[in-house]
Amino acid sequence: MSSLVKCPHCGLRPREEFTIRGEVPSPRPASDAPANAWFDHVYLRDNPRGEHREYWHHAGGCRRWLVLSRNTITHDISAVVDASTLKAGTKS
Amino acid sequence: MRDFLLHNVSPFPADETANGHGNMQIRALRDGFVFHLLGRSDTDTATVEKTIAAPIADLGGELRQLAPYQWFWVGNATLSQERVAEISAALPSMLALTDQTHGRVRLVVSGPQVRSVLAKGAMIDLADDVFAIGQSVMTQIGHIGAMITRTGDAEFEIMVLRSFAESLWHEIHQMAAEFN
Ligand SMILES: [Zn+2]
Repeated sequence: MSSLVKCPHCGLRPREEFTIRGEVPSPRPASDAPANAWFDHVYLRDNPRGEHREYWHHAGGCRRWLVLSRNTITHDISAVVDASTLKAGTKS
Repeated sequence: MRDFLLHNVSPFPADETANGHGNMQIRALRDGFVFHLLGRSDTDTATVEKTIAAPIADLGGELRQLAPYQWFWVGNATLSQERVAEISAALPSMLALTDQTHGRVRLVVSGPQVRSVLAKGAMIDLADDVFAIGQSVMTQIGHIGAMITRTGDAEFEIMVLRSFAESLWHEIHQMAAEFN
């Protein structure tokens, strides 16, 4: 059986129903921020060992964007929330 | 509202008996309607049920939630374009109705082995005590996005986008073949 992800809307669902977008990046820089700040925001990812926050799309279910907190070593998932619950401009 | 008349043609094969499964029945639903209801982000199911109480009492059918603030209203009545336009126009601005009768099609699978058949493609728990009669979920059967609704003791309705109908029809028959 595949690994199960608990969608806050749909309940336990197989990983195959989701598309992973990748790391939740740091807040968007100001429009007049230097080029290196924008380069970092757009292209550079942390790829951490341990706790990681990622955007997942429940493409095969409710089609909502979710934010999933996952441990990259153990694959334990500590939290899944709808992305709309994140405050704009903050990391959590 | 469409300004031309749409002639609905079922995408499922015409001859249903050609596939004869002894214990499993696979039946296309060729009539009825599928409406998509989109609510504002503060709309819940109870509110929608109340809002469409009058037309639902009139036309029948049921609400099936597919995502937050989104529902399908599915029924077996055959409706004229005028009636659809009337229903849509009578809704308050917090709800938007789109007729998807032409775009989403339904079939019914039933029989004592129905869970074993569906388990070959669906990855959700359809057990008797987990998935109650009347409950529905948006999920996948293999790679096909499908809404599965339990409509009876050992009976499930499957709704898919029209372009997947033939593929699903074929697949369900393959999945049921061993119970012939
Ligand atoms: Zn979901």
